[in-house]
Amino acid sequence: MSGRQVLMKGNEAIAEGAVAAGCRYFFGYPITPQNEIPEYMSRRLPEVGGVFVQSESEVAAINMVFGASACGVRAMTSSSSPGISLKQEGISYLAGAELPALIVNIQRGGPGLGNISASQGDYFQATKGGGHGDYRMLVYAPSNVQEAYDLVIKAFDKADEYRTPVMVLGDGILGQTMEPLVLRKPKARRFDKGWALTGCEGRAPNVVKSLFMGEGELERMNLLRQKKYDRMRAREVMCEEYMAEDAELAVVAFGTAGRIAKAAVRLARERGIKAGLIRPVTLFPFPDRVVQKAAKTASRFLVVEMNTGQMVEDVRLAVDAARPVGFYGRPGGGVPTPAELLKVFGRELRKI
Amino acid sequence: MAVIKLKELSEKEDRLTGGHRMCAGCGAPIVVRQMLLAIDEPVVIANATGCLEVATTIYPYTAWKMPWIHSAFENAAATIAGVESMYRSLKQQKKLPVDKDIKFIAFGGDGGTYDIGLQSLSGALERGHNFMYVCYDNGAYMNTGIQRSSSTPFGADTTTSPAGKAIPGKQQNRKDLTKICVAHNIPYAAQASPHNWKDLMEKTRKAMSLEGAKFMNVIAPCNRGWRTQTNDAIMLSKLAVNTCFWPLYEVEYGVTTVNYAPKKNRRPIVEWLKPQGRFKHLFKPGNEWMLAKFQEYVDDQWRAVVKLHNEAHPADQIDPEEGKTW
Repeated sequence: MSGRQVLMKGNEAIAEGAVAAGCRYFFGYPITPQNEIPEYMSRRLPEVGGVFVQSESEVAAINMVFGASACGVRAMTSSSSPGISLKQEGISYLAGAELPALIVNIQRGGPGLGNISASQGDYFQATKGGGHGDYRMLVYAPSNVQEAYDLVIKAFDKADEYRTPVMVLGDGILGQTMEPLVLRKPKARRFDKGWALTGCEGRAPNVVKSLFMGEGELERMNLLRQKKYDRMRAREVMCEEYMAEDAELAVVAFGTAGRIAKAAVRLARERGIKAGLIRPVTLFPFPDRVVQKAAKTASRFLVVEMNTGQMVEDVRLAVDAARPVGFYGRPGGGVPTPAELLKVFGRELRKI
Repeated sequence: MAVIKLKELSEKEDRLTGGHRMCAGCGAPIVVRQMLLAIDEPVVIANATGCLEVATTIYPYTAWKMPWIHSAFENAAATIAGVESMYRSLKQQKKLPVDKDIKFIAFGGDGGTYDIGLQSLSGALERGHNFMYVCYDNGAYMNTGIQRSSSTPFGADTTTSPAGKAIPGKQQNRKDLTKICVAHNIPYAAQASPHNWKDLMEKTRKAMSLEGAKFMNVIAPCNRGWRTQTNDAIMLSKLAVNTCFWPLYEVEYGVTTVNYAPKKNRRPIVEWLKPQGRFKHLFKPGNEWMLAKFQEYVDDQWRAVVKLHNEAHPADQIDPEEGKTW
């Protein structure tokens, strides 16, 4: 299939990307709007000698991922916001036991049952360690189908490289949108998984655990993990900049909101408005330096999110009061249009 | 208990009104309306996430003419347990009349009951809250797009157990949830079907008359997921009973009674499978073994429940093979 262009839904592209990355173990549970991922996997994985298991709950699915990952294979699960909440204990355990895994969250409106419209309400949960304890995970936020496919492939490599759970954070629009997609056969990167539980005949037994009861043991482990997160901060930042160099108004938006903001920036430029876009592709680590660089040229920031204001806190931390940071949000399944954002840009620029 | 008369029912007001957005021909609202018609007392409902919950309560509307609560997918039994405990406490505090008889019912589909809700159901049954849990069983996650559940019958084609060349549909037999509930030694557990409204309503009334935790499993055909016509729900629920796929029985304080045994009209399981698109591939050459396996499973289940009946009722023996003429 490599090099071929196909038409796919974002959810299907995520599933196919995982197959391309060598993931052969999928554990999932139905929830809208991500059902195409398990449905695709239930058909696709048997074709490539993989295993699809529909669990009895999201809690079971994430722990199946834990079990498979502990054995050294590439495993994943996917869900949508309420289901991701249920998985948080398992994600924390994955982080604690330093197990690689991919968790896909195709966000819907919340809190609670919310609705099934696209939303970005899970930014805090994804980037600040949604489960208990003191951990982070890499979070990728694709804004189109091709990027979703490519980032899923990357996510598996990074999960293995850092021995960490990685999240791909999309939303209902990304999951349901059909777009052309170029399939590829990624170079297989090999990772030494000497820690995996593969049967200890002829070697000392491996131990995979997140329980550290000895005095100072967990503190050491958490400090060690912190170094790992620092390495991610230094090396893994991904960010798209669009007409940001000379922008007076620096717009910051991710995922679907980022895609819409890009169209709005294009409209603004056509009208001579000097807007530019910063679209974080990794939400953790957050592209602080890109934001700080923009603060030198832009007079004002505007953060656009499909929530009531979550990433805006990270932008404000990065800007560190050097410039005013405005916010425009559409929570609970609301999706802004480029024309709507154009008006907001005008309002923001009048404040300069 | 009063005998249920059609005339009396026709004069009663529906407690689940029309205008809800369940699909045309869905079995679930028929089940709910019949069951609620059988109850005269005030009822408080908890509803698990699912078709019934989503389609009857599209805000700001509700089709329920009674107090109704929804929480998460996996927690209908826990939610009703909390509600029932609160009412019990109000009575103890004399904030409600002690003799005020309020009934508590939790409705959940098979996904929310057999799978993710099993833990909270088991907990509520074991603690013995005074409520009834009703599973409307359509054999898959219909609300999210027909994914397999642990109630999906063997062989069925669903979006996560697709029938293809490598794997011909779901490979496992369904979980016997009614037996699991019986194993909690609750006062009452039963299976029912909307085609036999009298049996369904009498069971509902009997369950409501007993103190403690009750469970009813009611088959609820789904034309979208079963891939049948919109007017097939009653025909298919009747066939489910007459093929012995869905035996009508009850277990009252440990005593098993089969309420209906097909005498001359026991049908082979193929008659229930044939009209359903989800089983289409079972009739392809090479898959005869699946039909045979399905029939064997149905026969085993039926004989097992009849054996329990016969042990409990020496004077009322059922021949499980009677009427099996094919």
